[in-house]
Amino acid sequence: MAASILFRVGRSILGGLSNNALGASRPSSKSADMDFLSQQTRTFIQMRTNLKVVDNSGAKRVMCIQALKGKKGARLGDVIVASVKEAHVGGKVKKGDVHYAVVVRAAMPRGRCDGSEVKFDDNAVVLINKQGEPIGTRVFGPVPHELRKKKHLKILSLAEQIA
Amino acid sequence: MRLEKCWFCSSTVYPGHGIQFVRNDAKIFRFCRSKCHKNFKMKRNPRKVKWTKAYRRLHGKDMTQDSTFEFERKRNRPERYDRNLTENTLAAIKKIDKVRVDRESRHHAKRMKPKKAQLQREAARELEQSISMVKAPGALQRDPSLTLPIKVKVSKPEKVDNRMEE
Repeated sequence: MAASILFRVGRSILGGLSNNALGASRPSSKSADMDFLSQQTRTFIQMRTNLKVVDNSGAKRVMCIQALKGKKGARLGDVIVASVKEAHVGGKVKKGDVHYAVVVRAAMPRGRCDGSEVKFDDNAVVLINKQGEPIGTRVFGPVPHELRKKKHLKILSLAEQIA
Repeated sequence: MRLEKCWFCSSTVYPGHGIQFVRNDAKIFRFCRSKCHKNFKMKRNPRKVKWTKAYRRLHGKDMTQDSTFEFERKRNRPERYDRNLTENTLAAIKKIDKVRVDRESRHHAKRMKPKKAQLQREAARELEQSISMVKAPGALQRDPSLTLPIKVKVSKPEKVDNRMEE
Protein backbone atom coordinates (compact mmCIF):
# COMPACT_ATOMS: atom_id res chain seq x y z
CA MET A 1 0.00 0.00 0.00
CA ALA A 2 2.67 2.44 1.10
CA ALA A 3 4.85 1.24 -1.75
CA SER A 4 2.15 2.03 -4.35
CA ILE A 5 1.65 5.54 -2.94
CA LEU A 6 5.37 6.13 -3.04
CA PHE A 7 5.49 4.82 -6.60
CA ARG A 8 2.78 7.28 -7.66
CA VAL A 9 4.48 10.17 -5.90
CA GLY A 10 7.77 9.22 -7.47
CA ARG A 11 6.22 9.14 -10.91
CA SER A 12 4.65 12.57 -10.54
CA ILE A 13 7.95 14.05 -9.36
CA LEU A 14 9.70 12.45 -12.31
CA GLY A 15 7.01 13.83 -14.61
CA GLY A 16 7.54 17.31 -13.18
CA LEU A 17 11.29 17.00 -13.56
CA SER A 18 11.08 15.90 -17.16
CA ASN A 19 8.73 18.79 -17.94
CA ASN A 20 11.17 21.25 -16.44
CA ALA A 21 14.04 19.75 -18.37
CA LEU A 22 12.06 20.15 -21.58
CA GLY A 23 11.20 23.74 -20.83
CA ALA A 24 14.77 24.64 -20.00
CA SER A 25 16.30 22.93 -22.99
CA ARG A 26 14.05 24.63 -25.51
CA PRO A 27 15.81 27.80 -26.60
CA SER A 28 13.66 30.87 -26.98
CA SER A 29 15.02 33.16 -29.62
CA LYS A 30 11.84 35.17 -29.89
CA SER A 31 9.73 36.42 -27.05
CA ALA A 32 6.90 33.90 -27.22
CA ASP A 33 7.51 30.79 -29.29
CA MET A 34 5.95 28.22 -27.01
CA ASP A 35 2.71 28.28 -28.96
CA PHE A 36 1.93 27.72 -32.57
CA LEU A 37 0.78 31.20 -33.57
CA SER A 38 1.47 33.16 -30.44
CA GLN A 39 3.16 36.43 -31.05
CA GLN A 40 2.87 39.48 -28.95
CA THR A 41 -0.65 40.89 -28.94
CA ARG A 42 -0.92 43.56 -31.55
CA THR A 43 -2.98 46.28 -29.92
CA PHE A 44 -2.53 49.78 -28.61
CA ILE A 45 -0.60 50.52 -25.47
CA GLN A 46 -3.11 51.60 -22.88
CA MET A 47 -3.60 51.81 -19.17
CA ARG A 48 -2.17 48.81 -17.35
CA THR A 49 -0.07 47.69 -20.25
CA ASN A 50 3.20 46.17 -19.13
CA LEU A 51 6.19 47.27 -21.07
CA LYS A 52 9.83 46.43 -21.08
CA VAL A 53 12.36 49.15 -20.39
CA VAL A 54 15.32 49.14 -22.72
CA ASP A 55 17.62 51.72 -21.29
CA ASN A 56 19.92 51.69 -18.31
CA SER A 57 17.85 54.00 -16.16
CA GLY A 58 17.39 51.23 -13.61
CA ALA A 59 13.83 50.21 -14.29
CA LYS A 60 13.03 46.83 -15.74
CA ARG A 61 9.29 46.74 -16.19
CA VAL A 62 6.89 49.58 -16.30
CA MET A 63 3.12 49.81 -16.39
CA CYS A 64 1.41 52.40 -18.52
CA ILE A 65 -0.82 54.75 -16.58
CA GLN A 66 -1.86 57.10 -19.30
CA ALA A 67 -1.31 57.29 -23.02
CA LEU A 68 -0.96 60.97 -23.87
CA LYS A 69 -2.38 61.61 -27.32
CA GLY A 70 -4.68 59.02 -28.76
CA LYS A 71 -8.09 58.02 -27.59
CA LYS A 72 -7.51 54.33 -28.03
CA GLY A 73 -3.99 54.25 -26.73
CA ALA A 74 -0.39 54.84 -27.57
CA ARG A 75 1.44 53.47 -30.58
CA LEU A 76 4.99 53.34 -31.76
CA GLY A 77 6.73 56.62 -31.07
CA ASP A 78 4.18 58.06 -28.67
CA VAL A 79 4.81 59.27 -25.15
CA ILE A 80 3.11 57.65 -22.20
CA VAL A 81 3.05 58.15 -18.46
CA ALA A 82 4.20 55.04 -16.72
CA SER A 83 4.75 53.71 -13.22
CA VAL A 84 7.81 51.64 -12.50
CA LYS A 85 6.86 48.17 -11.38
CA GLU A 86 10.24 46.49 -11.28
CA ALA A 87 13.63 48.09 -10.95
CA HIS A 88 17.28 47.16 -10.61
CA VAL A 89 18.74 47.84 -7.20
CA GLY A 90 20.57 51.13 -6.99
CA GLY A 91 19.37 52.52 -10.31
CA LYS A 92 18.35 56.04 -11.10
CA VAL A 93 14.69 55.18 -10.71
CA LYS A 94 13.01 53.18 -8.03
CA LYS A 95 9.98 51.00 -7.91
CA GLY A 96 6.82 53.07 -7.71
CA ASP A 97 8.16 56.13 -9.50
CA VAL A 98 6.00 57.76 -12.11
CA HIS A 99 7.75 58.85 -15.28
CA TYR A 100 7.17 59.81 -18.82
CA ALA A 101 8.29 57.25 -21.36
CA VAL A 102 8.43 56.96 -25.11
CA VAL A 103 7.43 53.77 -26.88
CA VAL A 104 10.34 52.54 -28.96
CA ARG A 105 9.09 49.11 -29.94
CA ALA A 106 5.52 48.07 -30.38
CA ALA A 107 4.04 44.80 -31.52
CA MET A 108 1.30 46.71 -33.29
CA PRO A 109 2.14 47.50 -36.90
CA ARG A 110 2.65 51.16 -37.65
CA GLY A 111 2.23 52.54 -41.13
CA ARG A 112 5.21 54.26 -42.66
CA CYS A 113 4.86 57.18 -45.02
CA ASP A 114 5.86 55.03 -48.01
CA GLY A 115 2.88 52.77 -47.39
CA SER A 116 4.63 49.81 -45.80
CA GLU A 117 4.18 48.72 -42.21
CA VAL A 118 6.64 47.96 -39.46
CA LYS A 119 6.18 45.94 -36.38
CA PHE A 120 8.48 44.73 -33.68
CA ASP A 121 8.65 41.70 -31.50
CA ASP A 122 7.66 43.21 -28.17
CA ASN A 123 6.54 46.40 -26.44
CA ALA A 124 9.39 48.47 -25.08
CA VAL A 125 9.89 51.97 -23.75
CA VAL A 126 12.66 54.35 -22.90
CA LEU A 127 12.11 56.51 -19.83
CA ILE A 128 12.32 60.23 -20.43
CA ASN A 129 11.81 63.35 -18.39
CA LYS A 130 9.23 66.01 -18.93
CA GLN A 131 11.42 67.77 -21.50
CA GLY A 132 11.81 64.64 -23.60
CA GLU A 133 15.38 63.78 -22.74
CA PRO A 134 16.15 60.19 -21.83
CA ILE A 135 17.03 59.47 -18.23
CA GLY A 136 19.35 56.60 -19.07
CA THR A 137 22.55 56.78 -21.04
CA ARG A 138 22.23 53.67 -23.18
CA VAL A 139 19.49 52.18 -25.27
CA PHE A 140 19.33 48.51 -26.17
CA GLY A 141 17.87 46.85 -29.20
CA PRO A 142 16.58 48.32 -32.44
CA VAL A 143 14.58 51.56 -32.52
CA PRO A 144 12.43 52.86 -35.33
CA HIS A 145 13.10 56.06 -37.18
CA GLU A 146 9.63 57.28 -36.35
CA LEU A 147 11.42 58.83 -33.37
CA ARG A 148 13.11 61.31 -35.66
CA LYS A 149 9.85 62.92 -36.54
CA LYS A 150 8.80 62.98 -32.92
CA LYS A 151 12.00 64.80 -32.07
CA HIS A 152 13.54 62.15 -29.84
CA LEU A 153 16.90 62.61 -31.45
CA LYS A 154 18.92 61.83 -28.37
CA ILE A 155 17.45 58.35 -28.19
CA LEU A 156 18.25 57.82 -31.86
CA SER A 157 21.83 58.80 -31.27
CA LEU A 158 22.12 56.36 -28.36
CA ALA A 159 20.57 53.49 -30.27
CA GLU A 160 22.69 50.66 -31.51
CA GLN A 161 20.46 49.90 -34.46
CA ILE A 162 17.82 51.98 -36.18
CA ALA A 163 15.20 49.82 -37.81
CA MET B 1 12.97 54.26 -52.74
CA ARG B 2 14.23 50.75 -52.75
CA LEU B 3 12.87 47.50 -54.11
CA GLU B 4 13.32 44.87 -51.46
CA LYS B 5 13.08 41.10 -51.63
CA CYS B 6 10.53 39.19 -49.66
CA TRP B 7 12.29 37.07 -47.07
CA PHE B 8 10.06 34.12 -47.65
CA CYS B 9 9.34 33.87 -51.35
CA SER B 10 12.09 36.17 -52.72
CA SER B 11 9.74 38.19 -54.86
CA THR B 12 10.22 41.94 -55.09
CA VAL B 13 8.40 44.09 -52.58
CA TYR B 14 7.43 47.38 -54.17
CA PRO B 15 6.94 50.51 -52.08
CA GLY B 16 3.58 50.58 -50.39
CA HIS B 17 3.32 46.83 -50.09
CA GLY B 18 4.08 44.36 -47.43
CA ILE B 19 5.00 44.25 -43.79
CA GLN B 20 8.38 44.64 -42.18
CA PHE B 21 9.01 42.72 -39.00
CA VAL B 22 11.93 43.76 -36.84
CA ARG B 23 13.14 41.15 -34.43
CA ASN B 24 14.80 42.11 -31.18
CA ASP B 25 18.20 41.15 -32.50
CA ALA B 26 17.64 43.88 -35.11
CA LYS B 27 17.17 41.47 -37.99
CA ILE B 28 14.58 42.80 -40.40
CA PHE B 29 12.24 40.45 -42.22
CA ARG B 30 10.32 41.85 -45.13
CA PHE B 31 7.29 40.11 -46.53
CA CYS B 32 5.57 40.81 -49.79
CA ARG B 33 2.13 39.73 -48.68
CA SER B 34 0.29 38.16 -45.80
CA LYS B 35 0.71 34.70 -47.28
CA CYS B 36 4.45 34.85 -46.74
CA HIS B 37 4.00 36.59 -43.40
CA LYS B 38 1.67 33.91 -42.10
CA ASN B 39 3.96 31.16 -43.27
CA PHE B 40 6.79 32.84 -41.42
CA LYS B 41 4.71 33.04 -38.26
CA MET B 42 4.04 29.33 -38.62
CA LYS B 43 7.80 28.93 -38.58
CA ARG B 44 7.95 27.24 -41.94
CA ASN B 45 11.33 26.98 -43.55
CA PRO B 46 11.19 28.60 -47.00
CA ARG B 47 13.70 26.08 -48.25
CA LYS B 48 11.11 23.39 -47.72
CA VAL B 49 8.09 25.20 -49.08
CA LYS B 50 7.68 24.27 -52.69
CA TRP B 51 6.52 27.51 -54.24
CA THR B 52 9.31 29.72 -52.93
CA LYS B 53 12.34 30.72 -54.91
CA ALA B 54 14.56 29.39 -52.14
CA TYR B 55 13.21 25.88 -52.64
CA ARG B 56 13.41 26.10 -56.41
CA ARG B 57 17.00 27.29 -56.38
CA LEU B 58 17.99 24.68 -53.82
CA HIS B 59 16.46 21.83 -55.82
CA GLY B 60 17.81 22.94 -59.17
CA LYS B 61 14.47 23.90 -60.66
CA ASP B 62 15.63 27.45 -61.37
CA MET B 63 18.97 28.90 -62.39
CA THR B 64 21.29 29.49 -59.49
CA GLN B 65 24.43 31.04 -60.95
CA ASP B 66 24.34 33.49 -63.75
CA SER B 67 26.13 36.66 -64.65
CA THR B 68 22.82 38.52 -64.93
CA PHE B 69 22.39 38.13 -61.18
CA GLU B 70 25.50 40.20 -60.58
CA PHE B 71 23.70 43.29 -61.79
CA GLU B 72 21.12 42.99 -59.07
CA ARG B 73 23.50 42.95 -56.15
CA LYS B 74 22.61 45.23 -53.29
CA ARG B 75 24.67 48.37 -53.25
CA ASN B 76 24.58 50.62 -50.24
CA ARG B 77 26.29 53.63 -51.75
CA PRO B 78 23.87 56.22 -53.04
CA GLU B 79 24.67 57.37 -56.54
CA ARG B 80 24.59 61.03 -57.41
CA TYR B 81 21.76 61.72 -59.79
CA ASP B 82 22.93 61.88 -63.36
CA ARG B 83 20.38 61.89 -66.10
CA ASN B 84 22.51 60.01 -68.59
CA LEU B 85 23.31 57.35 -66.06
CA THR B 86 19.64 56.94 -65.25
CA GLU B 87 18.64 56.57 -68.87
CA ASN B 88 21.38 54.08 -69.57
CA THR B 89 20.49 52.10 -66.49
CA LEU B 90 16.84 51.91 -67.44
CA ALA B 91 17.68 50.68 -70.92
CA ALA B 92 20.15 48.21 -69.46
CA ILE B 93 17.56 46.87 -67.02
CA LYS B 94 15.29 46.02 -69.91
CA LYS B 95 18.02 44.24 -71.80
CA ILE B 96 19.29 42.35 -68.78
CA ASP B 97 15.78 41.20 -67.95
CA LYS B 98 15.30 39.90 -71.46
CA VAL B 99 18.58 38.01 -71.35
CA ARG B 100 17.79 36.59 -67.95
CA VAL B 101 14.34 35.42 -68.97
CA ASP B 102 15.79 33.80 -72.09
CA ARG B 103 18.37 31.96 -70.07
CA GLU B 104 15.82 30.83 -67.53
CA SER B 105 13.52 29.45 -70.21
CA ARG B 106 16.46 27.62 -71.76
CA HIS B 107 17.31 26.16 -68.37
CA HIS B 108 13.69 25.07 -67.99
CA ALA B 109 13.61 23.50 -71.47
CA LYS B 110 16.81 21.64 -70.77
CA ARG B 111 15.32 20.35 -67.56
CA MET B 112 12.12 19.21 -69.27
CA LYS B 113 13.75 17.69 -72.40
CA PRO B 114 14.04 14.06 -71.23
CA LYS B 115 10.39 14.28 -70.28
CA LYS B 116 9.20 14.52 -73.91
CA ALA B 117 10.87 11.27 -74.97
CA GLN B 118 9.53 9.58 -71.88
CA LEU B 119 5.99 10.77 -72.63
CA GLN B 120 6.27 9.41 -76.18
CA ARG B 121 7.41 6.03 -74.97
CA GLU B 122 4.66 5.87 -72.41
CA ALA B 123 2.03 6.80 -74.97
CA ALA B 124 3.24 4.09 -77.36
CA ARG B 125 3.16 1.49 -74.60
CA GLU B 126 -0.31 2.52 -73.59
CA LEU B 127 -1.58 2.33 -77.14
CA GLU B 128 -0.37 -1.17 -77.81
CA GLN B 129 -1.43 -2.44 -74.42
CA SER B 130 -4.79 -0.83 -73.89
CA ILE B 131 -6.13 -0.56 -77.43
CA SER B 132 -8.73 -3.09 -76.31
CA MET B 133 -10.29 -0.37 -74.19
CA VAL B 134 -11.11 1.59 -77.27
CA LYS B 135 -11.71 -1.05 -79.93
CA ALA B 136 -12.87 -4.62 -79.39
CA PRO B 137 -10.16 -7.19 -80.20
CA GLY B 138 -12.52 -8.94 -82.61
CA ALA B 139 -12.91 -5.75 -84.64
CA LEU B 140 -9.18 -5.43 -84.96
CA GLN B 141 -8.83 -8.91 -86.40
CA ARG B 142 -11.75 -8.56 -88.83
CA ASP B 143 -10.60 -5.32 -90.31
CA PRO B 144 -6.83 -5.14 -90.41
CA SER B 145 -6.92 -1.53 -91.55
CA LEU B 146 -7.98 -0.61 -88.05
CA THR B 147 -4.80 -1.89 -86.48
CA LEU B 148 -2.23 0.73 -85.81
CA PRO B 149 0.97 0.88 -87.79
CA ILE B 150 4.09 -0.01 -85.86
CA LYS B 151 5.44 3.53 -85.97
CA VAL B 152 3.13 5.33 -83.59
CA LYS B 153 2.30 8.97 -83.94
CA VAL B 154 0.68 10.70 -80.98
CA SER B 155 -2.26 11.95 -83.07
CA LYS B 156 -3.42 8.36 -83.80
CA PRO B 157 -5.73 7.88 -80.79
CA GLU B 158 -7.86 10.80 -81.98
CA LYS B 159 -8.51 9.08 -85.35
CA VAL B 160 -9.54 5.92 -83.58
CA ASP B 161 -12.02 7.91 -81.52
CA ASN B 162 -13.56 9.45 -84.63
CA ARG B 163 -14.21 6.04 -86.13
CA MET B 164 -15.89 4.99 -82.91
CA GLU B 165 -18.24 7.94 -83.11
CA GLU B 166 -19.37 6.86 -86.57
